Amino acid sequence: MFIASNEPDAAPPPTRLRALNFALALLLVTLLFYFSFQQVNYHWDWAGIYKYRSKFIQGWFNTILISLAALALSICIGLFFALAQRSRVLPLRYFSKLYIEVVRGTPLLVQILIFFYVVANAFGVANRYLVGILTLACFSGAYIAEIIRAGIESVGRSQLESAKAIGLTRAQTYRYVVFPQALRQTLPPLAGQFVSLIKDSSLLSIISINEFTLNAREVNSYTFSTLESYLPLAAGYLILTLPVSLWTRHLEKRHRYET
Amino acid sequence: MKLSLAAITKRFDGHLVLSDVTLALEKVHTLALIGPSGGGKSTLLRIIAGLEFPDSGAVEINGEHVLFQEEALLRHRRTVGTVFQAFNLFPHLTALQNITLPLEKVHGHATAEAEQIARQFLARFRLEKHGEKKPAELSGGQRQRVAIARAVSIKPKLLLFDEPTSALDPEMTAEVLDMIKQLREEGRDFILVTHEMGFARQVADQVAMLADGKIMEAGAAAQVFESPANPATRDFLAKVLKY
Amino acid sequence: MKLAWLTLLAALCLLSACSQKPRTDLVVGMELNYPPFEMTDEQGHPSGVSVDLAEALGKYLGRSVRIENTPFDGLIPALKTGRIDLIISSMTATPERARSIDFSDFYVKTGLCLLIARSSSVQSIEDLDQPGRVVAVKNGTTGHTYAAQNIKNARVLVLDQENACVLEVVEGKADAFIYDQLSTYQNWRHHEDTTRPVLRPFQQESWAVGVRKGDTNLLSQVNAFLKDFRAKGGFEALGDRHLKEQKEAFSKLGYPFYF
Repeated sequence: MFIASNEPDAAPPPTRLRALNFALALLLVTLLFYFSFQQVNYHWDWAGIYKYRSKFIQGWFNTILISLAALALSICIGLFFALAQRSRVLPLRYFSKLYIEVVRGTPLLVQILIFFYVVANAFGVANRYLVGILTLACFSGAYIAEIIRAGIESVGRSQLESAKAIGLTRAQTYRYVVFPQALRQTLPPLAGQFVSLIKDSSLLSIISINEFTLNAREVNSYTFSTLESYLPLAAGYLILTLPVSLWTRHLEKRHRYET
Repeated sequence: MKLSLAAITKRFDGHLVLSDVTLALEKVHTLALIGPSGGGKSTLLRIIAGLEFPDSGAVEINGEHVLFQEEALLRHRRTVGTVFQAFNLFPHLTALQNITLPLEKVHGHATAEAEQIARQFLARFRLEKHGEKKPAELSGGQRQRVAIARAVSIKPKLLLFDEPTSALDPEMTAEVLDMIKQLREEGRDFILVTHEMGFARQVADQVAMLADGKIMEAGAAAQVFESPANPATRDFLAKVLKY
Repeated sequence: MKLAWLTLLAALCLLSACSQKPRTDLVVGMELNYPPFEMTDEQGHPSGVSVDLAEALGKYLGRSVRIENTPFDGLIPALKTGRIDLIISSMTATPERARSIDFSDFYVKTGLCLLIARSSSVQSIEDLDQPGRVVAVKNGTTGHTYAAQNIKNARVLVLDQENACVLEVVEGKADAFIYDQLSTYQNWRHHEDTTRPVLRPFQQESWAVGVRKGDTNLLSQVNAFLKDFRAKGGFEALGDRHLKEQKEAFSKLGYPFYF
């Protein structure tokens, strides 16, 4: 009843059994938390938090907007650099590699601080929301560039040859052979990157961008109720990331075919 | 068809793959290229298909000189149907779509027309039930037959087969060879690289034996198979036809 | 299967380790980011006015003292959950905070002041609350509370760190930073060409030591200590040791220096 089969092609356990065991796991986690809180002798004060619910809601919506804007921009940036990395123009190729290595190798927090207090200042860009979204987009863009590059390269050379043999031009090959397949390959990791982006947007609070985390921290300062501020914060992010994660799994299953 | 190869030479990484290959055939329907592995057969076929550039030499098909420049080759490839050993089909498209893609995008047929042509060919090769399946859902033999249907449907002036059955088990090999034989009977011109000597003997009218990048022997199929003049050919045939 | 047993074992060990043991030392929480009151010396050890005060308290009570470096907005939650026993972090006693914790008698009188950007035309706190103006505050401080309650038209930037707030003013991204008198003076001295201070407090404040609600025993001990310390000239000595320059500057500027 609690043990699943180890065979690779065995059918998954029936839904009722899965639900039961999932509930059991959830119960174990809840018990752990309950026990921890008991030890600490915490006094809950949800009324104080409820007074500030509009701050939470507004911050949550702002996080959604910022994440969407950054995602759209980062896909453009990622696509550009994925192709630029393969460019025949050498300075462009090396610039792309440099950008990707530096951005992926340094913490987002450091990038936000440098971008906002040094670079944006030098260029006279005052709007911190613009700078925040740009920084987040550049950060995510580097990861997306690598995802797209892997997707393009996953299309085997034999297919490029096959395309050549039937007379497709280079552009046609990209359009009808490479990109459709690369897209199916990249969609799952891209969705994963979107989840990361939603979570990473919380770091923008460091330059006082009015998003979800900043609002929760402010409420915490007003009410001194840390857990009552931060548990809804975690829940709020889960509401955003869980659907995307589930959609990712669905995508992976749908487009699995042997090559 | 009339085929003329003049002094074709090709090097890969300093390794000489084809050395001064020359062949002149006035009227040939089916040319079989045989010989040991690594002898240069595939490379020669790919040069004729327009997928490789020779280092030097010339190719002429039906009096038309093949210009080895990307733009001209693009046009040349559209007139030639090539079937490789494996990985011919695009895995994200159905069998039907694999055939309609070149018809629509390369040869300019309208979508409905392309589909009609594709279905005709699928029916002719007894694949009509498999049109909506993706390559992963087809057997090896079915995949190759779809690949052949694709190559034939564009009405090429020449078909090229590069060991089309080498990756298949005996049963599937037979069904693919049947199809090629059918094409032969319809009077299509093709060049076949194969290890299936018995089959080559049946369908080919001309044979060329390549070893170490050179043509050891070339001539009428019956003659080369019955009484090979070159000792290399004799040794090769003896080995291959042993079992 | 083995993995499941190992996990269970690990969880049980973790739970048993969670049980709290009674403490003998006095754990004092402060944010070591507020010179010259709470800071670290070159070797990284806690030092400053509050550290000396805490150690004097320990000697008075006959208990050893441990300093726990905690972010300012996390001090009250840490006190509530029992991670620390006392807050000696130049914390202002406010009615809101007094709802969560108990305060000792006051030991310092100070007030809220402004650090104004050179590019700004703001002259006083009244000028500040206009549309188009930007006010920087540090999360969880009385400056933050003041801004939340009184600033209606200007934009309030809530930041984690004091030096981030100062940077915003120095770069002209904020018109002013609301903070306590002594720090405002210090920050101005570090950035004399990009800022100017308004050192007359617009809101009076007093600092006190924080204890858990209901910890009446410790509270009376702390109050007794404070009385004793002041009588023996302890505060004078601290002022001479850490705040000599400020003492002189303030007397020259004509501001009263309470310590």
